[in-house]
Amino acid sequence: MHDRNRSRPRNAPSSAAIQPVIVNSLTKRFGDVLAVDDLSFSLRTGTVTGFLGPNGAGKTTTLRLLLGLAEPTAGEALVFGRRYRDLDEPARRVGAVLESNDFHPGRSGRDHLRTLGIAGGIAASRVDDVLALVELESVARRRVQTYSLGMRQRLGLAAAMLGDPELLVLDEPANGLDPAGVRWLRQCLRAFADGGGTVLVSSHMLAEAAQTVDEVVIIDRGRRIASGALDELTERGRTTLEELFLELTGAAS
Amino acid sequence: MSNAFRSELLKQRSTRTVLALFAAMVGLVALAVVLHGVGLPVDALDDRSRQLIVLGLGGFLGSLFAALLGALSITSEIRHGTIRPTFLVTPQRSRVVAAKAVVCVLVGAAFGLVAAVIAIGTGTTTLDGRGVEVLVNIDDAALLVAGGTIASALWAAIGVGVGAIVRRQVPTLVGLCAWLLFVEGLLADATGGLGEVGRYLPGAAAAAISGQEPDRLLAPALGLAVLGLYTAGSSLLGAFTMSRRDVE
Repeated sequence: MHDRNRSRPRNAPSSAAIQPVIVNSLTKRFGDVLAVDDLSFSLRTGTVTGFLGPNGAGKTTTLRLLLGLAEPTAGEALVFGRRYRDLDEPARRVGAVLESNDFHPGRSGRDHLRTLGIAGGIAASRVDDVLALVELESVARRRVQTYSLGMRQRLGLAAAMLGDPELLVLDEPANGLDPAGVRWLRQCLRAFADGGGTVLVSSHMLAEAAQTVDEVVIIDRGRRIASGALDELTERGRTTLEELFLELTGAAS
Repeated sequence: MSNAFRSELLKQRSTRTVLALFAAMVGLVALAVVLHGVGLPVDALDDRSRQLIVLGLGGFLGSLFAALLGALSITSEIRHGTIRPTFLVTPQRSRVVAAKAVVCVLVGAAFGLVAAVIAIGTGTTTLDGRGVEVLVNIDDAALLVAGGTIASALWAAIGVGVGAIVRRQVPTLVGLCAWLLFVEGLLADATGGLGEVGRYLPGAAAAAISGQEPDRLLAPALGLAVLGLYTAGSSLLGAFTMSRRDVE
């Protein structure tokens, strides 16, 4: 594990000692299918961790379990030492985007953020703050149905940032972004981690992930097949993340 | 609770759904009452009970649209995926369902109030215009308005509960429409009129609250109690299933 000096989380220094995410023997079964199979990993504060795996590997299911949207069959997924639903003010601790289009098409981007801010007991001024952060002020009063995919991705990220969280959980956030958008996202995540936040970002876009993440957790068929610092994993075999990934998942030709 | 409640209130105000439903309801109430008032033969309109049925179309359609409003408040979140951010901010899902039910009860009551008043206004005007004596007195009108308002408020919460149980939007909306418009009536016909059981069905209980057909339906207070039980039952079951099931 490499060492980086990073500042502590902004709004809960006392939690720096608690790992932001601990996944412990997590298992989720849908009928005959084991979507997540005895999966364990944890995140370190102040890092960007890539959660990688082929389509259908169980990445999204793991994130849903972590965020309390689904119940594990066995094991546990904890954020800041607790189940997500047991967090006192989850929106102030964790920001998450699971789908790129979770908006009512007839509601303005600004009102979308307002409904979430009110529900989370978050100061109304944060809505304009995050709109500025994702550079959507000029379209904020337009209905979401007029937004491009890139704008929707940004609006989702704005919603995740609304509570000024310590942990960001993003499922395939780069999907559908153009190169400028991808670069913007990368800088955004890096700035968040450099400010003491922790990021868990799933992806199957390895070249992009390799430029963004400090650490990786690679899963296949619901099981962890590799994890650790990106530098170490790729250096070990003097290989790229892509080659490592294809080799580990048995997809190399 | 108050944060979830205020959030649900803003959700209702920040799309055009409620306004569109409201406009459709107003138009349909006026149309239905006028068509009955003009279309039915005079001898089908010249007693108080039949006039109450025509004027009661306000409360009936108010209840139907309130039920759709309630169902939409939750199925549209599931359909558009906003249920995910909603539950991320408020992981206590029963709290979200409760907030929706309370907001929809308030908006549904407004729907019922307006629908009942419009039905009475257009109905009495239409009867007057045809030279049919209006036999509905002020007490009847007051009960139509109060009953229509309360029935619509409760049906809005039933809509939330059914939406939370069924979850898919189109089956929920079609199911609620079909039940109120056809199924209860067909069941009543098939079982030889509204028998002992038929009087306790939710549509019949709603009609009873505004004093409809006292010979066949429950007394208003009993109708209110029965519909209240349906409301409590569907809301609790909706909150329970919403809390138990995984979110897609």
